[in-house]
Amino acid sequence: MDFNAIETTGLAKTYTSSFGKKTVSALNNFTLQIPKGMIFGLLGPNGAGKTTLIKLLLGITFPTAGSAKILGEDISNFKVKSKIGYLPENHKYPAYLTGGQVLHFFGSLSGMTGDNLKTRIDELLKIVKLEEWKKTKVKNYSKGMMQRLGLAQAMLNDPELIFLDEPTDGVDPIGRKEIRDLLIDLKHQGKTIFLNSHILSEVELITDRVGILNKGKLLKEGNVKELTARKEEYKIRFESGNEYLLSPELMEKYSLAKTNDGYYSLKITNSNDLDKIVDELRAKGLTIRELVQQKDTLEDMFISLINEAEKENKQ
Amino acid sequence: MNNIWIMTWYTLREAMARKVFISFLIISALVLIFMLVIFGSNTSIDIVAGMKNAKLNLPMEQIVSQLELLIISPLTGLCILLSIFASASFIPIMLEKGNIDILLSKPVSRDQLLLGKFFGGLLVVLLNIAFLVLGVWLIISIKFSFWNLSFLWTILLVTFTFAILYSLIVLISVITKGSTFGMMVAYLIYLILSPVLHLANNNIDMFTSSTVVKSVVKIFYYIIPQTSEVSGTITRNLALGNAVDSYQPIWISLIFLVLTMGIAISVFRKKDF
Repeated sequence: MDFNAIETTGLAKTYTSSFGKKTVSALNNFTLQIPKGMIFGLLGPNGAGKTTLIKLLLGITFPTAGSAKILGEDISNFKVKSKIGYLPENHKYPAYLTGGQVLHFFGSLSGMTGDNLKTRIDELLKIVKLEEWKKTKVKNYSKGMMQRLGLAQAMLNDPELIFLDEPTDGVDPIGRKEIRDLLIDLKHQGKTIFLNSHILSEVELITDRVGILNKGKLLKEGNVKELTARKEEYKIRFESGNEYLLSPELMEKYSLAKTNDGYYSLKITNSNDLDKIVDELRAKGLTIRELVQQKDTLEDMFISLINEAEKENKQ
Repeated sequence: MNNIWIMTWYTLREAMARKVFISFLIISALVLIFMLVIFGSNTSIDIVAGMKNAKLNLPMEQIVSQLELLIISPLTGLCILLSIFASASFIPIMLEKGNIDILLSKPVSRDQLLLGKFFGGLLVVLLNIAFLVLGVWLIISIKFSFWNLSFLWTILLVTFTFAILYSLIVLISVITKGSTFGMMVAYLIYLILSPVLHLANNNIDMFTSSTVVKSVVKIFYYIIPQTSEVSGTITRNLALGNAVDSYQPIWISLIFLVLTMGIAISVFRKKDF
């Protein structure tokens, strides 16, 4: 059967204080479809509702409105969790257990038994480079080691869908690269990965799609390339020694301006004009060596989107 | 069922990692070693002879049974007090952020998680009490060649007493996510409310003639679990092989336990984390 990995319709969560005097809307009318086999990144400032969304999807907390499906099953069916892995932010493991025992405990709860479980534990400890720490109690693990153990825990049952909340938190740059490579590898195996992260540069490197969440509302959702592209701005590089052909009139007509890296920036009002401009420049004898659409970083896009949302909220 | 057993087993491991339970095991072992030393010498015969003289022509079997109870009673009381202290944090630790999130992300129902923790706590106390009672029973039985099987009821009744109090700790922990209040209420019932209500109910006419006060005492007597009678009179009578006047305290306490756990499960099912 073909279904989305995650599907939410009007999902909402409102927290009410003990005496019902104060309510906080953590998630508001959240609708999203995430197809299988991709890495989806959910971005948002602190308190945006990212973790609440994961908790709702996993049945850790309950929605006040709306519905959601995971791998085609309603979220109220706890058995679907046998196909899911989860690494929460600030996870805790029983301090009296060793790394191997922690994985054995959670593997058992996922329905794994015997040699199958033992082999899987050894395999995962090797992947996350903790095989030498298998018999060390987790209370002696560093933050980075705990994070890697958490990743192993999330992958134990060979899940189809993995939720990762700040997976690289506390991990050194080399470890981060290894985690990114691992996630890409998992994607190639057909797994779906739902990622919450503050590190936007990292998200940009590995995600297929992202969603921007602010104050419980989904502001934007789409392909990273689409979201970061500045639609009407391009960079042109001409054949060297050709540039004298650019007359001031031409530069003014197309708002061409030379940039520090030897390119010319081009602003147009309509993307259909691009062919005409290229034709005109070539007709003037200019040889175009490169024409690229200007891009924002994910961080630029994120900050401007959040700022816009904040301005709208104030108005 | 398998998931309940996994949670039970790991709760037992958690308990064993705690100093309180290990301390009680050490105390029990020291008591048993001390008994081996005492009953290995002729002094023990003198003790029994002395008890026999004091009780005037009591049969040897009854003296041995009394001796078993005399040794075990303060230790089981201590075991319950320590167990309340040590097990009060089982549920709050499970409910800590970062811990409960992972547990609830597994294909395990909330009922199974809570029941596993409950049975785990009981199993710890059962093993501790069984080690102590069986040890005392074996040493005395071998020494005096009298095998009082009724004495083994103590294991079940002390564990049952703990189960009643622990169900309340579980309920309060699920609601408050903390251990202190549950522990305080359990101590209050075990050490004060249950003994006082037992006493007041039996001798109410001595204290008051007011029917209102009498009714209030009666209501509380039937609402509050009767741990004092379960671990006291009933355990003593069963351990000595005597007839039990009334099993009502056991039924009332059992209903309390089932209701309390039922409410705890119901609250836990709907709780946001």
